[in-house]
Amino acid sequence: MIDMGSHTAEFTPPIIQTEDLTRVYQRGHSEVHALRGLSITIKAGEFVALMGASGSGKSTLLHLIGCLDTPTSGKYRLAGREVSTLTKNERAHLRNQLIGFIFQNFNLLPRFSALENVSLPLQYRRAPGDVRRKAEQALEHVGLTQRIHHLPSELSGGESQRVAIARALVADPALILADEPTGNLDSATGKDIMRLLTGLCQEGRTILLVTHDTQISAHAQRTLYMRDGQIVTDGG
Amino acid sequence: MSPLNTIFTALRGVSSNKLRAALTTLGIIIGVASVIAMVALGNGARAAVEAQFRFMGSDQVQINSGMVFEDGKFVSAGKILSYEDGLNLPEAVALVMKVDMSVSGAGKIRYGRATLDIAVTGTTAEALENIMTGKDVQPVGWQEGKPLTADAFMGSGRFFTPAEVLEGAEVCVLGSKTALDLFGGDDPVGETVWVNRQRCLVIGVLAELETTDVSQRYKTNPNELFYMPISTAIHILYEKEPSVNLVAHVSDESRMDEAKAQITDYLRERHAVEKDSEDKYKDDFTLTTRKDVLGAQQDAARTFSLLLTAMAVVSLGVGGIGIMNVMLVSVTERTREIGIRLAIGAQANDIIAQFLLEAVLISAAGGLLGIAVGVLTIPLAARLNQGMALLEPNSIPLAFGVALLTGTLFGLYPALRAARFDPIEALRYE
Repeated sequence: MIDMGSHTAEFTPPIIQTEDLTRVYQRGHSEVHALRGLSITIKAGEFVALMGASGSGKSTLLHLIGCLDTPTSGKYRLAGREVSTLTKNERAHLRNQLIGFIFQNFNLLPRFSALENVSLPLQYRRAPGDVRRKAEQALEHVGLTQRIHHLPSELSGGESQRVAIARALVADPALILADEPTGNLDSATGKDIMRLLTGLCQEGRTILLVTHDTQISAHAQRTLYMRDGQIVTDGG
Repeated sequence: MSPLNTIFTALRGVSSNKLRAALTTLGIIIGVASVIAMVALGNGARAAVEAQFRFMGSDQVQINSGMVFEDGKFVSAGKILSYEDGLNLPEAVALVMKVDMSVSGAGKIRYGRATLDIAVTGTTAEALENIMTGKDVQPVGWQEGKPLTADAFMGSGRFFTPAEVLEGAEVCVLGSKTALDLFGGDDPVGETVWVNRQRCLVIGVLAELETTDVSQRYKTNPNELFYMPISTAIHILYEKEPSVNLVAHVSDESRMDEAKAQITDYLRERHAVEKDSEDKYKDDFTLTTRKDVLGAQQDAARTFSLLLTAMAVVSLGVGGIGIMNVMLVSVTERTREIGIRLAIGAQANDIIAQFLLEAVLISAAGGLLGIAVGVLTIPLAARLNQGMALLEPNSIPLAFGVALLTGTLFGLYPALRAARFDPIEALRYE
């Protein structure tokens, strides 16, 4: 493991810690080994880019880290908790509490306004608090104060992704997982989004970003390259 | 998710495809409406039957001539019920207090130059009393609640006496319309009319009567009447002795079955009823009590409600399958939405609640509309069914509850299916 040189990173506990992680899919009669004994550690507050050709296993890893999936074998601790043995509902609870997702295609609910989309994660909490105020704050955070009552279809790509980032932020998660967040945006808008993510990292959130684009990965402090279900390069 | 939020979310889901939801409710609407309308029909029929037999006293045994269908018409199964059968019954069967007897036949009445074709009724002297206790008619303008007396039914003169019935006196009593038709405005009492070429003295005219059932008033006129002693009527109207309608009044209502058995024995002996090859009597008469009628009516009601249940089950089942179909389509269409909700932390129960509530909302809307349609259908059903449809208030919550249950039952599978989605697969769904 390579230390990032950041004076804070040395003393922070790992938020993500995987040990010999494997994931095997059954596809027809053949088995697909998407992950082959993968071990990584990511500290709280790191900005990590995950790169690799398609089929290298980076999506599978992102899903496992995002508690959307469970490994075939191996261990995964998220913020000190062993995830691989949790039930479906326990993982859902963990996602709600600790993780914010940002997708390439934004994944906003088309019939709900920007504000309602951002409110959604809070609504799945037992004690959501002042949902409207928190959602408005999250939207303000991503620089959207104007068009918060518009439907996703009335927003530009950049605005939609800002709404999605606000939704990922609203529940104040420790970890933000972004899957090609600039893939559907022009380069200028993409830069804006990356600036936003960099800002979030500086606030102390851990960011794991999947991308093909070296210009995008350049924003990260650390880059992991994957091939054939394993990390082949781990560097700054 | 809080219940309020779940309701809002489900409402949004339903309203996102209003036409589809509306079409889906159709099955539930028809199911619920038909339940309400059919219960009303059953209710109305029961009320009508009860009204019809309300005046059949619980002390009465109706004796009818047994009929068989032969050569395209009904004919008496053996001997007819004769005037003498009725006349001797109280003496032979101690439990029988008295017997009402009547015959009815077409008569041609003439007075001076006026002639009239009319149904002539031959009765016993109790007929006037029976008109009063029958409560089907009342004197015109009779104040409600004021006790009726037999006298109130007489306009002028008097009714015939038991003695006149026994001796076959040639006397008659006219309805007010009959009197007016024959005599113009003159007083008929004391005049002689001709009935089928026999002289007959008018001894009384009934008061002008109206039916107690207001809805019947424009249909029938209860004043076209012509009463004679039964013995006289049989003599004048018939060449061959007719079968007489007999109603036996039993003195002790707790011994109705005993009375029926004794009447049966009496008639079997008088008619010399034989046994068939299986040692059963080939009776040429039937006995009916109020209990028999109500029992038969209850059997009919049971059959009817069974039919009703079957119809409700089928139509609501079809409605439920419609809901299930639409919810399955909706769940598939919204796979991505489900994936997003799961990714941001929705639990299985949240997803189940959302889609189950959508199904219940659709069925509730169908239920409410069905109740409205059902209630509005009742007057129409009543018109088609001779006024026999009555809204049963209990059928409204019942039908609504069944609609909700249908929505829950048929919405459960699609909701469970949605909750079982793999979030990764669901997020990738195009």
